[in-house]
Amino acid sequence: MAVSVLSNWAGEAPVAVFVAIGEGMRDRLERLFNDARFVRAASPRHAAIFLIAGRMRLEDREDLRRLHDQMPHPRVTLLWNAEVGEALGDAEVFTGSTLEVDIEASEAGRSDDAVRDRLEKLWQELASGERSSEPDLLHDEPPNSWEGIGPHGQGGQGMMGGTPYGRPMAMTSDDLRDGLALDLYTARFGPFLPMFPPGLLLEMTLQGDVIQSVKVVRPPLSQAGGNDVPAALLRLARLLDVLGLPVLGQRARLAAVGGATSVPLEKLSRAIHWAGATLAIPRGLGAVEGYGDTRTRFANLVSVANGFSPAMWPGLTRSAHLSSILPGLEWSEAMLVLNSFDDETLSTLAAIVEGADEDRDGHDHDSGHMHHDHGGPHDHDRHQGHGGRGSHLGNDYHGRHGGHA
Amino acid sequence: MEIVPWVFLIGILSVLCIRGVHGVRHSATAPQQLPFLGGGTPDTHAWQRYHIRYYSMTLLFIAFEMEMMFMYPWAVVFVEEGGMAMMEMGMFLAILSIGIVYAWREGVFRWQ
Amino acid sequence: MMELIAALLLLLFLSVGFAGAALVDGMLPAFLAGQSRPSWRRPIADAARLLQTQRIRTEAPDALLWFLAPVLYLALAIIGLAVIPFGPGLVTIPSEVGIVVWGSCEALTIVAVFMFGWSANAPLPLIGAYRYVAIALPAMLLSMFVLIGAALPAESLGFTEIVEAQRRVWNVVRQPAGLILFLMLGLAISLRGPFDYADPADLAGGTTADVSGPMVLAWKIARLTMLVSVSAVTATAFLGGYLGPLLPGFVWLLLKTALILVVLVGAGNFFARMPPARMMSVIWTMLLPLSFLMLLAVGVELLLWG
Repeated sequence: MAVSVLSNWAGEAPVAVFVAIGEGMRDRLERLFNDARFVRAASPRHAAIFLIAGRMRLEDREDLRRLHDQMPHPRVTLLWNAEVGEALGDAEVFTGSTLEVDIEASEAGRSDDAVRDRLEKLWQELASGERSSEPDLLHDEPPNSWEGIGPHGQGGQGMMGGTPYGRPMAMTSDDLRDGLALDLYTARFGPFLPMFPPGLLLEMTLQGDVIQSVKVVRPPLSQAGGNDVPAALLRLARLLDVLGLPVLGQRARLAAVGGATSVPLEKLSRAIHWAGATLAIPRGLGAVEGYGDTRTRFANLVSVANGFSPAMWPGLTRSAHLSSILPGLEWSEAMLVLNSFDDETLSTLAAIVEGADEDRDGHDHDSGHMHHDHGGPHDHDRHQGHGGRGSHLGNDYHGRHGGHA
Repeated sequence: MEIVPWVFLIGILSVLCIRGVHGVRHSATAPQQLPFLGGGTPDTHAWQRYHIRYYSMTLLFIAFEMEMMFMYPWAVVFVEEGGMAMMEMGMFLAILSIGIVYAWREGVFRWQ
Repeated sequence: MMELIAALLLLLFLSVGFAGAALVDGMLPAFLAGQSRPSWRRPIADAARLLQTQRIRTEAPDALLWFLAPVLYLALAIIGLAVIPFGPGLVTIPSEVGIVVWGSCEALTIVAVFMFGWSANAPLPLIGAYRYVAIALPAMLLSMFVLIGAALPAESLGFTEIVEAQRRVWNVVRQPAGLILFLMLGLAISLRGPFDYADPADLAGGTTADVSGPMVLAWKIARLTMLVSVSAVTATAFLGGYLGPLLPGFVWLLLKTALILVVLVGAGNFFARMPPARMMSVIWTMLLPLSFLMLLAVGVELLLWG
């Protein structure tokens, strides 16, 4: 009885969807979630529906299966123009209009509506129990066999080593910033982390929340972003989300669609100004020669909301690369930098570098061709990660990193 | 203050109630337990000798926290004592402020 | 007897306040974002959904702390509210050192949030937990300096005396910047907007990134309860608490709390969040000296005209 009352209420809940965005689908997906009936979940743990939209690479399939299994029951998957073979089992398939460039806008709108209806129907069935929850795709086996020694399975000798609960413990190394030898955490972040560009898979080593080294494993999936006003507004919206302004981000998205409820752009840019968004981005953060720093890139996007046309960047002159831009940055700074580039620039910055086989100790800053020049005016205190060639001791960092208060 | 343990009890009971709704599966399989990284996998456990970037700030914090202890009784007698109390606390705060300036110059408020 | 009535009023205040907070938190952001038809049924429906979702554990988590974190957070919110008077003598925990009790609730909140992020044994929650400590520690200092400023004219650390001392003039007139600083603390301990360093979007939900179903709901409930508590404390310390004409004190406190709560939810959606390092140095080098000055100003005012 009580359970059926709960189910009735649950059926009314906004549909929580975790999205894996494939090729060319990002901007369309952002428009899809302009609707109050849907919530885009930040993590599969918060979602009931796994929406896989657009073409995926072959290598992404294993990650999709892992994400699927990370969702709590009850759960269901919907494939939208996705080609993933049998990787997701017998998941629901939705084939709307394909993503040819010249589809009619109204047809795309109709197809979006159809996807919304399908998502809502799936959730209704799931909530009422008509549809049973999907089982795991992967085998129910722990990642490694238990190798712990000793009463707590800490294993190894002294404080080091061992694989308690089937996974090794972190090991120490010197820090980029202050040289303290604390633990390194290495993991592959992405390819469908919500604050990452879709498809980008980075193998990062962190110490605390500062990035020590970055290796691009898979570049972002190409998006039909373009450089027009709606694309710039959507880019602005993503940065606003990362800055903790989802309300303004939502307004920017509505403005990008130009629907009836959208606010005038001047009001949006005034709100962004009063929110202190520009001031919140540290000066000189993520500077790339010819592209300014993150703050100027953000200001350029805001000026689009003020009626200026999106800025055209001159093109990368140096071999700048994510693996040289991100190390040395704190996590939230790195997320701001990642979201500040347009698609084309980002795909250049995230290109897979041939022969850049990093040594496994987590320091990739000796691969010389990844360096970029430190000549830019904003470039003074952010890129300690790769310039000093192993001289990253405390004093070194200390001297160059003037207080940015 | 007798109510405090009861509040904790209420807290424990309510969270227990919320957790244990009838008819929901609760055990998680091995692939479900993997930490969320957007599809990627970690090499190691997340627990580690974490690099706390603000460790020097916490030392300064202790100085201010001790200062709070003097401030509570001071606040009660302030009006009685008048100008004298004002001077004393003013000096104390001035010294602490110099401490902040010094710490700032030394880069204590940065992510080390 | 009075304490029993006060305890019943506390329950009433909590339920009304919580319902209001859930509505405001569910509808105001959607309204501000220009979304069509935010519905009042949404928060309840969402809770029902979370209740029916599986609770996932991660690899080798600290299960006990994970369970206790929302319990502690919720209990601290309720205890903090229990030292607030609903009328002359109408207080659940009649304490002469109400400020100190509230201050310890604030400080232990850091422990609760840290426990929640720590327990999952997962990277994103862990980063959220550690970074929250960096911001919340100095924010506690801010709030205590501001509250001491409110205690000076009352010559007492009890909330009842602080309210009575505001019969002539509310504390918000004495230290307007103090109110703003205290609102910032409110954002910090209820994990909102510009001070939400534990559960932000750039960490995919931070401490909640690996939490599912009912435990997410428990965490949300604790956060909203803390929002109600901190709003009530703000209303008591700065807006004269239960003082007001005609209506009973309880209703006045409820109205003032509602006002602060709406301001907090609005502010949480209207200000940008800086990277934590920047915020930490802003708090220490700008906001903390400002709170010193506020305290000085109140002291001088009391000596000259008190």
